[in-house]
Amino acid sequence: MRILVCVKQVIDGQAPVVIDETGAWVKHGNISPFRMNRYDEFALEEALRIKEKFNDVTIDTISFGPPRVSSTIRKAMEMGANEGIHILTDEDSFVTPFEVASAIASYAKTNTYEIILAGAMSEDDMNSQVGQLIAELLHRPCATLVMHQEIREGGKELYVEREIEAGRRECLYLTLPAVLTIQSGINTPRYPSLSNALRARKAQILTIEAKDLNIPEKRERLTGLSYPEVSSKGTFIEGTQKEKAKKLLGILHEKSLI
Amino acid sequence: MKERILVIAEHHKGHIVPTTYEAITFALELNSLARAKVLVMILGKSVNGMANMLAETTGLDVLGLEGDHLEFYNAEQYKHAIEHAIGNINPLYICMTHTAMGLDLAPGLAVRLNASCITAVEGIKPNGGKLSFVRSMYGGKIQAEIIPELKKSIITLLPGAWKARERYPDKKGSVQIKDVHRGVSISRTFSVKESEEESLNLDDADVIVAAGRGIGTEENLHLVKDLAKIFNKSAIGASKAVCDLGWLGYKYQIGMTGRTVSPRLYIACGISGSSQHISGMKDSQTVVSINLDPNAAIFNVSNYCIVEDVTTFIPVLLEEYKNFVEA
Repeated sequence: MRILVCVKQVIDGQAPVVIDETGAWVKHGNISPFRMNRYDEFALEEALRIKEKFNDVTIDTISFGPPRVSSTIRKAMEMGANEGIHILTDEDSFVTPFEVASAIASYAKTNTYEIILAGAMSEDDMNSQVGQLIAELLHRPCATLVMHQEIREGGKELYVEREIEAGRRECLYLTLPAVLTIQSGINTPRYPSLSNALRARKAQILTIEAKDLNIPEKRERLTGLSYPEVSSKGTFIEGTQKEKAKKLLGILHEKSLI
Repeated sequence: MKERILVIAEHHKGHIVPTTYEAITFALELNSLARAKVLVMILGKSVNGMANMLAETTGLDVLGLEGDHLEFYNAEQYKHAIEHAIGNINPLYICMTHTAMGLDLAPGLAVRLNASCITAVEGIKPNGGKLSFVRSMYGGKIQAEIIPELKKSIITLLPGAWKARERYPDKKGSVQIKDVHRGVSISRTFSVKESEEESLNLDDADVIVAAGRGIGTEENLHLVKDLAKIFNKSAIGASKAVCDLGWLGYKYQIGMTGRTVSPRLYIACGISGSSQHISGMKDSQTVVSINLDPNAAIFNVSNYCIVEDVTTFIPVLLEEYKNFVEA
């Protein structure tokens, strides 16, 4: 069985995000701390668990983006993915989920993957679209926000539970091949083992130029970026910790909350 | 072709999910800008009662799609049913809430209908004769304006971004119910499991003290619990990140796929404030946030902002509280 895991490199959530001079996109400095999207770590871990449970499972990992993303592909290989595929773009710019999904679907359609996994969303763009789009482009069934999966019927069917509101779970069967987007919290992603880390260091990453993949036109256009308005009602309480604590208690007392 | 703005209603156990009315508000706002009639679509095994109720409450036309295979939401069956029911309707916009259902359905439906797809939308702005849709990125640190390039658009709306209307036109909309055939079964949803964890009474709490990743370690949770104890009728909550780390169970999670709360006081401790979290707490009467990052998005929805490390600030706050009570 072959599994493809889609991973994205994102800027660390704690790092400041700055709109560039033209207002067209955000600025990534050379020192920006990039890492794997956390949801994708859960997706990769789920693939690794399938591999441990069944014989003859290989895991490929794929990422779309500028040269910097190769470090995240290598990280996925350190965690245990067999092969890495990089759909290479020239630069950092606004990319729509449809373009990314079209590129990955175009690669995946000539390769037979029984299961394609992706994170339920990316921490930066927060679209929650790529997995579902890949599924539709490849005419495969898809379940999102997956919190449990089990391969059944000798590899023909996938039993899936997806997380919906208020902790409820929808239970469904998907006919393989299928696409799943994995919800965070489904498992505990592992740290790379030394042997995998050494192997990954030497491994070749298959690089495909995005422009060779016939990616369709953008279906959504970015027309502006801005910082959210800080609502005028907010007051920053200033002073030392002690002064801030006193002021806050005063405010809460005034509002009869304490 | 009749141009329409379509709303896909969501329901659970025979009741319309409240966020559906937020999607209707959004559709009516689009209607005043894009001049196409709003049509509400509801899919299920037996939807006549809910369809009539929607038509009566909102004054809008409702199209119900029925079939035994639609008992539970299923992306494949919904896409198939919607695609075939659209017939001679030309939906300029198809609106739904950015819930587990909406985000599951929208992208695939967009590919099938050759539509643009914009998810987790929080606002609309007229933009040179077109409409752009505003959505958050980077955990709420940046807002992006997006214009659909295709003639049809599928939009999912962040829960809480629009308010359900209190008043609608005083007339009843038309109701039409159609039977739909089952699509190819490559996916079959057969049940919905209730949450195994007992639910907390977060709804009844006057004060919620919520923990985010900024509390640093699981051991520091006691700070949040101790802070909650100084208030009457208080409860603790958590961001999704804290639940994912296993520091607190998912029943404590506030925000999308968790709970929506509106207490008198909400204290966010070390929570950065992703739009998913904010949608679950922004109707709180008073919000106090403590976060080390002065640019954290949580401060945009807070009445009182304290730029401090929660792990050192809460002990000082508790100490000062003791002095305050004694005084």
